[in-house]
Amino acid sequence: MAGPTPIEREGARRIVAALEQAGVMLVATVPDTWIGWLMEEIRKSRRLRVIDVVSEEEAIAIACGAALVGTRAAVVIQNAGLLNSGAVIASLVHLYTIPCFLLVSYRGDERDPVYYHAPKGRVTEPTLTAWGIRHARARGREGIAAQIRQGFDWIEETRAPFALLFSAEDLA
Amino acid sequence: MTTPRRAWLEALVGALDGGHDLVVAGLGANARYLPHLGVRAPHFALCDSMGAGIPLGLGMALGRPDRRVIVLEGDGSLLMNLGTLATVGAARPDNLVVTVFENARYESSGGQALPEVRADFVAIARAVAFPVAERLAQAGELPPALARGWASGGPALLALPTAFDPGESIPPYSERPAEIRLNFARALGP
Repeated sequence: MAGPTPIEREGARRIVAALEQAGVMLVATVPDTWIGWLMEEIRKSRRLRVIDVVSEEEAIAIACGAALVGTRAAVVIQNAGLLNSGAVIASLVHLYTIPCFLLVSYRGDERDPVYYHAPKGRVTEPTLTAWGIRHARARGREGIAAQIRQGFDWIEETRAPFALLFSAEDLA
Repeated sequence: MTTPRRAWLEALVGALDGGHDLVVAGLGANARYLPHLGVRAPHFALCDSMGAGIPLGLGMALGRPDRRVIVLEGDGSLLMNLGTLATVGAARPDNLVVTVFENARYESSGGQALPEVRADFVAIARAVAFPVAERLAQAGELPPALARGWASGGPALLALPTAFDPGESIPPYSERPAEIRLNFARALGP
């Protein structure tokens, strides 16, 4: 169950444009249903190379490797996978102070119609706070491009991770 | 047949092209040796983050296709993140060679044995579309194997059977993470 497929993908297209304008070259991703909708748009980009990975920790490490050689990357994962990634965030991102941009599908918040995501929705933001990860909820199609731009500026100024949490309605 | 780790490392360092190669060492003995080997190429050592060496190297390889990336990983560390070989096989970077030091031990944590099953990393790499996947026997075989890897047009995996010596005097970590990152950035240049 994933809720209704957004008919409009304007929000997703604005995310793609914002990533391109931010100079992102690589997008490392593990799918979920919402990410699948977003990735359909990202894969249309000629400037973003998608790296399909098999675990979220791997996606974060790939983005860190890219950052260490001066290439901007984005990690696109579900919050379940983010919750799996505490070790790599602590022992790679934080330990070496590597900028890392996380675009996270926020399953289980009050906008999510699927009941079984609710427990991880409840723990996502408290966990991010405990892990020292600055984060924000996406502000819909009108606000998300600016949040992506500001997020990349922020991670590079502070050499820290940032997580932008999005819902299906932010893609519409 | 196994070879001492130091012999593998010296052969690898001797084969590096300082103008093109980047080195990533997963946590443990390789990372601890790295600052003491006179490595002429930019190198990045993990103090922690077990299992992250190969994806970190993949990110570097994809981010800088003009450079060649060599990852030094242990067998225990690779087992922790075995799926990463599938990711590398799918991404098909032609500038990434993964070396796997096989001693069937968690050396950093006291030499505990790995689970008692032989994971054939060469067979796994071949199964996930690495064009070169070989198990070497002696340090002298490493430079030509690296050359085969670079010429293959895709990722390569070289398994290095490594002697486990519980009395080996492995140097401690001698650089802090911030130093490692800054030294890597300086050596890499703009």
